[in-house]
Amino acid sequence: MLNSLHIEGEGWLHRMGTGWKLFALLVISLVLTLISNLPLLAAALVASLMVSRSIGMTERMLWERTKPVLLTIAFLALVNMLLLSPREGLVILLRLPAILFFASAVTASTSLSAFIDTLTRAAMPLERLGLIRAADLGLALGLVLRFVPEIHARYGALKDAHKARGIPVKLHRLLGPLIISTLKDADSIADAIDARGIRGQKSRH
Amino acid sequence: MSTRDLVLAALFTAIIVVLGLIPPVPLAFLPVPITAQSMGVMLAGCIIGARRGALAYVLLVVLVAVGLPVLSGGRGGLAVLMGPTAGYIFGWIVGTFVTGLLAQRLVSESQPALRQMAGFLIAGVVGGIVVVYAIGMPWLSFITGTPFDKVVTGSVVFLPGDILKAVIASLAARAVMVGYPLLPQRA
Repeated sequence: MLNSLHIEGEGWLHRMGTGWKLFALLVISLVLTLISNLPLLAAALVASLMVSRSIGMTERMLWERTKPVLLTIAFLALVNMLLLSPREGLVILLRLPAILFFASAVTASTSLSAFIDTLTRAAMPLERLGLIRAADLGLALGLVLRFVPEIHARYGALKDAHKARGIPVKLHRLLGPLIISTLKDADSIADAIDARGIRGQKSRH
Repeated sequence: MSTRDLVLAALFTAIIVVLGLIPPVPLAFLPVPITAQSMGVMLAGCIIGARRGALAYVLLVVLVAVGLPVLSGGRGGLAVLMGPTAGYIFGWIVGTFVTGLLAQRLVSESQPALRQMAGFLIAGVVGGIVVVYAIGMPWLSFITGTPFDKVVTGSVVFLPGDILKAVIASLAARAVMVGYPLLPQRA
């Protein structure tokens, strides 16, 4: 149901550290935001396509992954061409897809666990300040992924129950029961986590 | 934050993800189809309150960032967070917090039903629409260079749908308040 956008591979981008990849993406995005030289932006777009290709992502896959955002960009480029100048439209038509494709390449070349490890490490300074517990992040994300299929099935069951009784299926009728039946499990899940000592001592408050 | 608060936030994130899997409903009188997921900000703020609600959205944004297609239409990955509409996504976190704060102030269990629904509606409109737009529109204008006033004009198309969502969310929030109240037990 929720397949990660990660693509398996052993290429150079796959082997690069997650922190470095994110840092490089940030720098590239900032630089591209600052320049508005058309040939340079076109070169960046070509480079982003080449990087995507080098990690096994075809143009078709890239299109499927970024379609909604690309369509938004195309629409806004058109608006800019009409309101400002054709050049303004062309600039974002080159710049934003390049940033998008570089970002997609980072997403595709980084596994879920590598991302979560990096995030947990990045959250450590916050833990030292007493703001959050870094390990909670992995726990919470695990919980979300564990419960999505279950809640989806519950939604289907509620829909069927409405249909069976001849009541038209309307979102506003389903939301209440769906949310109540899901959140009612919170106590037993929390007890199960505490009983196993997963969050360490003093976890109740 | 107690384990229960953490679990409530995570469960709500899962609900928001599921709302994204439901096909969008096209409505005859609106130009854009309604996605159930965009109601999540108002629902989370009104039902589990400011802190837990905002945490639910932080978790959602982290899931997007690590490359899971959890947004409606199967969107996800860093590309979404760097695109022109990313401001709205980050705005959801702040929007949920504001919705929650207002709901906690305006709504209590002893009020009559109509008063509760009005409170949830105000909270949802301010947090889920005003705050989210206030962050999303400048970002969009900054990234694309489209003049801000034109972005504001263009966003008007989405307003009727968003107000309808706030109404549905306030109905649902009130149903949960009656059936299983969580808002009063603040995180």
